[in-house]
Amino acid sequence: MTVFVCSDSFEGILCGVYDAWTSRLGHDNVRLELENTGDLRMFAEYRRTEETPGKAAKVIGAIRKKAGQEVYERLYHASLSCEEQKADLIYRFLIYAFHVGPKVTGLLQVPAVYELFRLNRFVSREAQHMIEFVRFSQTDGGILFGEVAPVNDVIVLMAPHFADRLNAENWMICDVKRKKAVIHRRMGGWAVVDLPDDSFREKLKASADQTEFECLWKTFHEHIAIRERTNPRCQMNHLPLRFRPYMTEFKRNGSENN
Amino acid sequence: MFIQQSQELKEKLAILADAAKYDVACTSSGVERRGRPGQLGNTAFAGICHSFSADGRCISLLKILYTNHCIYDCRYCINRRSNDVPRASFTPDEICRLTMEFYRRNYIEGLFLSSGVYKNPDYTMDLLYQTLWKLRFEYGFNGYIHIKAIPGTDPLLIEQVGLLADRMSVNLELPTAEGLRTLAPSKTRERILSPMRQIQQGIAARQRGIVPRMRQDRSVPQTWAGQFVPAGQSTQMIVGATPENDYQMISVAEALYRNYGLKRVFYSAFVRVNEDSLLPVLPGGPPLLREHRLYQADWLLRYYGFTAGELLTERQPNFNIFLDPKCDWALRHLELFPVEVMTADYGTLLRVPGVGVKSAKRIVAARRAGRLEFADLKKMGVVLKRAVCFLTCGGRMMYPMRMDQDTISAQLLGEERRRAWDISSTDSYRQMSMFHDGFLSPAPTEEDRSGALYGQM
Repeated sequence: MTVFVCSDSFEGILCGVYDAWTSRLGHDNVRLELENTGDLRMFAEYRRTEETPGKAAKVIGAIRKKAGQEVYERLYHASLSCEEQKADLIYRFLIYAFHVGPKVTGLLQVPAVYELFRLNRFVSREAQHMIEFVRFSQTDGGILFGEVAPVNDVIVLMAPHFADRLNAENWMICDVKRKKAVIHRRMGGWAVVDLPDDSFREKLKASADQTEFECLWKTFHEHIAIRERTNPRCQMNHLPLRFRPYMTEFKRNGSENN
Repeated sequence: MFIQQSQELKEKLAILADAAKYDVACTSSGVERRGRPGQLGNTAFAGICHSFSADGRCISLLKILYTNHCIYDCRYCINRRSNDVPRASFTPDEICRLTMEFYRRNYIEGLFLSSGVYKNPDYTMDLLYQTLWKLRFEYGFNGYIHIKAIPGTDPLLIEQVGLLADRMSVNLELPTAEGLRTLAPSKTRERILSPMRQIQQGIAARQRGIVPRMRQDRSVPQTWAGQFVPAGQSTQMIVGATPENDYQMISVAEALYRNYGLKRVFYSAFVRVNEDSLLPVLPGGPPLLREHRLYQADWLLRYYGFTAGELLTERQPNFNIFLDPKCDWALRHLELFPVEVMTADYGTLLRVPGVGVKSAKRIVAARRAGRLEFADLKKMGVVLKRAVCFLTCGGRMMYPMRMDQDTISAQLLGEERRRAWDISSTDSYRQMSMFHDGFLSPAPTEEDRSGALYGQM
């Protein structure tokens, strides 16, 4: 068994796929793993994948040509997953995808396809949830600042939605777990940046009317519920507790001015 | 001064959100619109929910009334004229500011504006129109707007409002004309149906590319492409306020979908907010299970190709409490089952209990490549618990089963009865007890007897 170790990024995984494929060792004799994950195997040879843009581009070209744009997008979503096995799952899927072509996405009875479908579904659903539940607060300089703590690395999937919707705003969505953020400039583009420390927070003081609107929103949220129909179970099904620490209406703080 | 103002707005918001909450429609779906440079907002075809309130209903739109002053005296309504409740009115600027600021913070997907009838329908509708105009053109709001058309309004006004909104709705409230006469004496069925017809015709004209002209007395930005009610219209019926049965309800819904081209009919379990001798007393709380069954049937009408006459008949006018409408239908039509997964067409698969739109599509896509097993169906999202009774894979059922109503209903009931119970008695968790659930009833001891005699327990 030869294990190809690659970095946790889309390009990294694709380079791993390239190396494993072109090593000519046979699909059953190779495995892809992310660096710093899982236990080391006995009797396995570990090879470090060297990342070059050329290798990734070749694999992307092959995916687009043989399997189509939709498969390419699904693979990208899957690569954002939090699962440690994702690199190998992508490799197993690609073996099959290159064989069957674009219709591969429908063949859920094939385990390799189903696994990728599962990763992809989890990531896409979480991205959708984050788009629904992220809350911005307005800072002094008029910047909208939102915090999320997603399980998968989904902030990059949220960015196009908000870039279109809030195109005339300066905004920033911060992933507190991965210490990175998407920032968007008014009428401009967006970019992903790393935030090594918390020093940026000092510059993001809440503006004067922020508490007013937080308070109004809490009022609305409370009054829109019908008392006779109270159903916390149903609320929890739709809005799991893990999202709530970052949502304005579920935060309890003493800063309300009533 | 500032704090005083904000408190005032807060009180108004509390009153007018309270007044609006019995309206159930809170969807932001039906229209896909990209953002416009410099403006705020876009819309997503599938709609986006932003929060869920304590009753488990989604909050997608800022659902408020413009005012809860009302000239009508509808018996079921909390805002009826004769009720002594706090009254308030927003100003157009307040609504615009709330919408914009909530939207920027990603609290809401848009505005749902309704109103009590203040002075007369035309006057009220004009206030709503002024608000929408301000919101769209002065504040530059490009998100979703759902607005109520008030019955009895001038058609010209409805046309102009329709050009600014995404969805319009007129509430039918009660499915029959008698119901309306008893509980809402100042509304008539004709007055409700005529704006509905007008909106339908407007939408049909828009689909052929004919859009009415906007009022010319004010300047409309060049970028604004007038669309008449692009997300379609909806309505709402109250469940359980009048003695109509389920068959009447879904027949009316079916007729509305067919003849009025509605996007959605909403059902609202009646909540007794007023004391009135003509309103039913509901000791078990609002009829939530009945509302749930109606929604299930509504989905069957819209996405599964069922008709009202298939689900219920004059002889069996109400839905089964223990079985969902699809299972109930399948049990009455066992001659059509079991269905073979590999060969049945999409329409037939859709009618199998436990198979939904998504899973039926996945089955059709997957079976082209090879055989499917029951384990594969589970992966595709089929609810095997229900589907095993009605499906074969490669000519075999999952396990041997007698195809008769008793066996299958017993199999289905185990699960369904529990869920029905969950819905009808929310929030009443009870631990299983050895003594109360009849597993064990210990014989009374000598001490118990003497204790009972002296009144000590």
